Amino acid sequence: MIPFDYRLAPDVDGAVAAATGWGGVAFLAGGTNLVDHMKLGVAAPEVLVDISRLPLDAVEELPDGGLRIGATVRNSDLAAHPAVRRDYPVLARALLSGASGQVRNLATTGGNLLQRTRCAYFQDLSTPCNKREPGTGCSAIGGYTRQHAILGASAHCVATHPSDMAVAMAALDAQVTVLGTSGRRVIPLVELHRLPGDEPHRDTVLSPSDLITAVELPPLPEGTRSLYRKVRDRASYAFALVSVAAVLRVEDGVVRDVRIALGGVAHKPWRARRAEDVLRGSPVDGSPADEEVFRRAAEAELAGAAPLAGNGFKVPLARNTVVSALRGLSREER
Amino acid sequence: MTVGQPVERVDGRAKVTGDARYAADRTLPGMLYSYLVMGTIARGRVTSVDTAAARAVPGVVEVFTHENAPRLTSDQHFMPLQGTQIHYNGQIVAITVATTPEQAQEAAELVRVTYAPETPKAVIADALTEVYLPANQEVIVGDPTAGLAAAEVTVTQNYSSPPHHHNPIEPHATVAQWDGDHLTVHETSQGVVNAQRTFASAFAIPQTNVRVLAPYLGGGFGGKSPVWPHSLLNAAIARQLGRPAKMVLTRAQMYSIVSHRAEFRQQVTLGAKRDGTLTALVHLSTQQLSRTSENMYSHSISSRMLYACPNIHTRQQGVRLDVPTSRFMRSPQMASHFGLETALDELSYQLGIDPVELRRRNYTDVNPTTGERFSSRFLLDCYKLGADAFGWSRRNPKPGSTRDGHEFVGWGMATEAHDHNANPSSAMVRMAADGTVLSQTATQDIGTGTYTVFTQVVADALGVPLNQVKVELGDTNFPPAALSAGSGTIASVTGAVNAAALAVRTAVVQLAVSNPASPLHGLPAEQIITQHGYLFSPDRSRRESYRAVMARHGAPVQNTSSMTNARGYSTGAVFVEVRVDPRYGRVRVTRGVGAYDAGRVMNHKTAGSQVIGGFTWGIGNALMEHTVLDRRTARVVNPNLSTYLLAVNADVPDIQAIFVNKPDPVSTALGARGFGETPITGVPAAIGNAIFHATGRRIRDLPFTQDKLL
Ligand SMILES: Cc1cc2nc3c(=O)[nH]c(=O)nc-3n(C[C@H](O)[C@H](O)[C@H](O)COP(=O)(O)OP(=O)(O)OC[C@H]3O[C@@H](n4cnc5c(N)ncnc54)[C@H](O)[C@@H]3O)c2cc1C
Ligand code: SF4
Repeated sequence: MIPFDYRLAPDVDGAVAAATGWGGVAFLAGGTNLVDHMKLGVAAPEVLVDISRLPLDAVEELPDGGLRIGATVRNSDLAAHPAVRRDYPVLARALLSGASGQVRNLATTGGNLLQRTRCAYFQDLSTPCNKREPGTGCSAIGGYTRQHAILGASAHCVATHPSDMAVAMAALDAQVTVLGTSGRRVIPLVELHRLPGDEPHRDTVLSPSDLITAVELPPLPEGTRSLYRKVRDRASYAFALVSVAAVLRVEDGVVRDVRIALGGVAHKPWRARRAEDVLRGSPVDGSPADEEVFRRAAEAELAGAAPLAGNGFKVPLARNTVVSALRGLSREER
Repeated sequence: MTVGQPVERVDGRAKVTGDARYAADRTLPGMLYSYLVMGTIARGRVTSVDTAAARAVPGVVEVFTHENAPRLTSDQHFMPLQGTQIHYNGQIVAITVATTPEQAQEAAELVRVTYAPETPKAVIADALTEVYLPANQEVIVGDPTAGLAAAEVTVTQNYSSPPHHHNPIEPHATVAQWDGDHLTVHETSQGVVNAQRTFASAFAIPQTNVRVLAPYLGGGFGGKSPVWPHSLLNAAIARQLGRPAKMVLTRAQMYSIVSHRAEFRQQVTLGAKRDGTLTALVHLSTQQLSRTSENMYSHSISSRMLYACPNIHTRQQGVRLDVPTSRFMRSPQMASHFGLETALDELSYQLGIDPVELRRRNYTDVNPTTGERFSSRFLLDCYKLGADAFGWSRRNPKPGSTRDGHEFVGWGMATEAHDHNANPSSAMVRMAADGTVLSQTATQDIGTGTYTVFTQVVADALGVPLNQVKVELGDTNFPPAALSAGSGTIASVTGAVNAAALAVRTAVVQLAVSNPASPLHGLPAEQIITQHGYLFSPDRSRRESYRAVMARHGAPVQNTSSMTNARGYSTGAVFVEVRVDPRYGRVRVTRGVGAYDAGRVMNHKTAGSQVIGGFTWGIGNALMEHTVLDRRTARVVNPNLSTYLLAVNADVPDIQAIFVNKPDPVSTALGARGFGETPITGVPAAIGNAIFHATGRRIRDLPFTQDKLL
């Protein structure tokens, strides 16, 4: 029971103001991740600024056909929203594959993006962890790494970002609106999260008083298909070993637009640009022969993979999951 | 007759409404809260404990370390806080005591412990040269060497399985209150009588001075059978501080101080004739032991009891590691059973004999180790009933022969088997002057349905409706009865409950026939029929209600009876269908059928629930469940239900449970045998066998995670 201050944010600007000037501050949204961390001693904020009642809980359809999702929209509500189900199946599926019904009823859009790694050592105060306590070392390296990164890791941290929703949003070219002490700015979702480098304690480019207010999804052109495929250790209620969000538009037998993001493989939702480059402009006809180019694309992306002692299986698993996701999208019958 | 019927749980309503009071629900006036500080090294010594910051927390009454903790000994377990030695990661190194649980926890987080650590050994692979054979762990029947020489076909394979933790939904809790040298403990206990004995001996007080209560349990699975050191320490603290004390473990704490299923490696060698008859069965195993105990809990009983084989050799080796002491966990025989039932499947392919047929050819009515005849055994019926319900005869034996889209479909089976305890037990039944019935016995309902089954037994014996009977359990003030472990509750206690109820019936009937005021006066007592709360004349022309007889008598009628029963062996056969997607290495279990010989089935609902629960656990065991130790620190990496994966609903198909339902003639429990631990034992092997049938790939290391099948 570590004492902390609790402030109910009066409005959006007031939330940022309330969070400014403290050593340890955290916004409280659904609390499904933050409160766990406070109980474990992983997080010990001096002040909690409760943003759960701010008027950021709307999903708006934009004139250009895109979607603006408020930061406190609950994961369940977002997954059930008709526009999401109709236009962005990849996002609906990603949301529904995450956590459990009860957790999704609490979890918010902003909180989901900023949830922290599930690395077991990060959660165990008795073990060194550079992300929790900079400079103490990384216990995962040389330890249990089944859930850890194969792409973009560093010698300081090999953790993965656990969100499913963020992977779908990365593939959808989402834009994140942030309100900070110096005003409003928009950050592409793929640039929100960082690679660990030598500062693994910094998950994102945000500062503690930066408030996410919304996520915007650009419209998808007619004929675009999308899906989310998640591989995990049990049928439900488990984090991804590997997941793939894929968005594909094939016209006249040629790939016109393709966007792929991988989950469970890196410190951030991993946008697979190299795979996209291989695919863009390639002929695709929905037949099994397509698998060849899909595999080449996946392998191009995974050429840079550096698996750890306990997660080498993620390389073929990621490859196969990319191939099967693209097959699912390219085949007429699915 | 209600016995056998799928009667709803009589305690269901109390449980779902919160009326049922569990140990952690007990709050006593003036009570203190203890909280454990767990060590973070696995081997070495505590060099200092700084409690200053902890003591400064408001509400903190005391902080105990090895320097000032109450001195206690235990003949069963290593007792922490008696010295500086550390034997495993997560050992208790201090206890804070405060007036609220929050204060105690905060103080615990502020205790600073320093250590002189040494390098631990965490897994069997770290200590292969230190494997040894503890006393009395080797059994040889016949001449296994000659048996192997006589074999026309042999299979030798190695199998392995990880440690597991019990993870009952209810965490361990203990509340101790002293009154002079009388102790009352509310304890999450699978055996109040055993617990009473342990507390009494720890505090050197007469057993009658100790009362232990455990009316409800949220599962135990063997992890709540012993009284663990933390409960003794909590009681000692309550005594020293002169106030009641409560301690509730966190989920994470349950991964180091309340035992687990040991890491296990085994080698099974089968020798057989071409027709499938076994000529030799050699089962070598190695299980993890601790620095402070060489007790073994994963026994190769299946290899010694299940199949007709003249030459058997089981050798149960151990290796001491810097890990906590293991203990019984639901179906302790399943670890070795997995090896045996997988090896038989491998043999069936080598011989080209159907796996069910191979088992039928090695069926025995006689215990192959002792030569004694089983009192009753309907395992052949189980194979037939299970195979028919599953449609086994349609199986194409060729591995990889069935594909559905991306998935390979496979069918596998295994025998299920576990022996069960039977311990002498006693029970009281009393009919009050208003005709209502109370039965008390100091056994437990650990969630399996004891309350319900005993209600049925008493109601049937007396001939009264179920709602006229109340059963009370889990209190040492009641007549002593069995530990609820080793599948032994029903087998041990039913006979005593039934005998006491029958004695009460006899006494009440006597009251009626001997009293001129009764319409039944003068009839021979043995001809009276009792049913629906009434006593009838044989031709049913005359009757009187129990209520009327008792009202006239004006006083309760009571009997306490005792009974012993024989141990037994319940068997069955389980059949599963899996679908394997090789792209992800993913296995789904899509069908499950189990057929069982459990003697007489007392309640088809509660027995069926044991099958569903066991099968579900078996799926988890096969596909995901395992405790991960960091090999460098021997520390559990996944001490919570978010990372220690168990099967969830989406992993579990509909499960069909079939019972032969023939009473065991020697069982004093109305023909019932113990059953709880049988329906899980074969599931991991059946799933592995089905994976082989689906894909042609044999995985011998549990669990069958996706990485192993990619
Ligand atoms: C048992 C369990 C299983 C789970 N399984 C999955 C899974 O399979 N897949 C998956 O993707 N997720 C899973 N989750 C994680 C879950 O999705 C997250 O906990 C949830 O999305 C976090 O949202 P929240 O609103 O509760 O965040 P909170 O816990 O309130 O906050 C999380 C972090 O975000 C910050 N924050 C919140 N909102 C804002 C904002 N608007 N601006 C700035 N900072 C903000 C907080 O300060 C905090 O640091 C699981 C969680 C649990 C408990
Ligand atoms: S991988 Fe990152 S989060 Fe995990 S222990 Fe290493 S530094 Fe900490």
